[in-house]
Amino acid sequence: MIGSYPVSIDTQQVMNSYFQEQEVSWENYIEQAVQGMVDAGICLVSDGQTRDPFIQLFTRHLGGCRIRDRTEIVGHVEYHGPITVADQLFVRRLLPRRTSLIGVLTGPFTLTKSSVDLFYHDEKQLCFDFAAALRKEAEQLQKHVDVISIDEPFFSNQLPEYAADLIKTITHHLSCPTRLHVCGDVSRIVPQLGEMPVNILSHEFKASPFLLDVFHEHPCSKKICLGSVRSDDVRIEPVEEIVRHIQKAQEIFGEAIVQIAPDCGQRLLPQDVAFQKLSNLVVAGDIMNGR
Amino acid sequence: MFSFTKEQKVYDISGVSIGGQPGMYPTVLFGGVFFKGEPDFEDAKKHLRVMLELSTRTGTPTIPDFFIRKVEYIDPIISFIEKNLPHKHPFSVDIIEPTIKIETLQTLAEKKLLFRTIYNSIHVGITREEQESLKKFTPEMVIVVAFNPKDSSPDGKIEVLENGAHLTERGLLDIARGIGFEKILIDTAALAPGENSGAALAAIPVIKEEYGLPTGCAIHNVVEKSKWLNDYPFAKKTVDVASNCSIPLFGGDYALFGPVQNAELVVPLIAWQDILVSEYTENYFGICPVAFHPRRKLLK
Repeated sequence: MIGSYPVSIDTQQVMNSYFQEQEVSWENYIEQAVQGMVDAGICLVSDGQTRDPFIQLFTRHLGGCRIRDRTEIVGHVEYHGPITVADQLFVRRLLPRRTSLIGVLTGPFTLTKSSVDLFYHDEKQLCFDFAAALRKEAEQLQKHVDVISIDEPFFSNQLPEYAADLIKTITHHLSCPTRLHVCGDVSRIVPQLGEMPVNILSHEFKASPFLLDVFHEHPCSKKICLGSVRSDDVRIEPVEEIVRHIQKAQEIFGEAIVQIAPDCGQRLLPQDVAFQKLSNLVVAGDIMNGR
Repeated sequence: MFSFTKEQKVYDISGVSIGGQPGMYPTVLFGGVFFKGEPDFEDAKKHLRVMLELSTRTGTPTIPDFFIRKVEYIDPIISFIEKNLPHKHPFSVDIIEPTIKIETLQTLAEKKLLFRTIYNSIHVGITREEQESLKKFTPEMVIVVAFNPKDSSPDGKIEVLENGAHLTERGLLDIARGIGFEKILIDTAALAPGENSGAALAAIPVIKEEYGLPTGCAIHNVVEKSKWLNDYPFAKKTVDVASNCSIPLFGGDYALFGPVQNAELVVPLIAWQDILVSEYTENYFGICPVAFHPRRKLLK
């Protein structure tokens, strides 16, 4: 998985809890998401990022941030304690024995670009303060997950010259493998992506198949997470189409493909569509692995 | 005590004004009727009379808040309102279940009572059917509950008003305005002790400064949820009544003060609190209280 999985939040149930003076529990929504991924046969499952969109998921819990319509930076960004760890522990209890767990962090550049800065007026400093906070979260996460993924979609629009240092702030000396997910058109920055201090690069190769040619021109030594079903289109890719896509990618990357995944988070897809895409992805993977 | 830089809206419903700068209009009190069990109409009649008399004597406006828990209660409660509330006196309907809300709206429209009705309430649980029904039968005024299950802070309450905290397609204010409501009250959603209960009060000045809309809450609910107070029954009653003072003190415009049976204690208390606020805000900010304010009525 890349990160999010769609769930339907029962807002009436939420309000009933409020009126009945009970605390609102989110665990059933996390369970719903995890069950969907597990039932589809996914072997590297996330917590589904059900609580919030991927920006607010982190900024809601960081010092110096307040969320009104958007995230606003009103003070020094500071880590106040684990953000996603409790959910990961909960997910781990739900997973079958051979299913692995991925912890997902929204990258510091994306957090910065998605926030309204009313305090720093210094983008680089804000980025590095976010990175320092995310590093602390990663240190906590690494004890409980099998892979940590950093989600940096804004790199495809603009790659700051300090991008590698930002990512290194989070990943250096982590005990688990790391992945950098950059969706969008990354064709202009493929050489720089090859230098990023992570083990795996993840991109939307299905929506942007021309990326295969760009990577062919600029070979890199990283392992690859191959986006193989679109996250921005409700059409369900048939298994044969996914298999052809993987075969084509193998011609470029060979054994470097270690994960096949949706192009991006699936939050915006209808639940049944997301599930069917994952199911077909799993079948295609099985075919490729000779199962 | 507060005065806001943002222009403060004052909304009128059937002669009762809600909102404005602190000290200008008296705090409006909503007394709950038929909260528990079968509606006891004789008891309600008695307590409503007391509440309305206190209102006349003190200048503190009161509005009955009718709980409708079952479909079969709709007709008798609406008939009770027609027969027992003074002609044109405003009232609110406090309903949780969307299907009961929809049926009640239809009945209120048939009885031509919508111009006196405050709809309690719109929140993140609003359904499409409820929205359609509200567009067809739009009450004069609405209470929007700024409950954000993701964030109980004042900022979280603004988030749910602005964008529904991504639980609704649009922000609650947009939804209310899209339905056609022009007179919107904000309820800052009091939560239990341990769940940032103080945020409902802290949010009052924050929301008034942000939107200028009349704002209040049911702060007495926090007392109900303070289980430890059960060991102090005499004090609990005092705390329950006194908790309402916090609302005008934080610049709020209205209080859902609990059962109408408490009116004898709450109405004079809030009149007293409003006088304090008014004296200071006139002296310091130059805010003059309106002619029917308790300060004008009770201090001769």
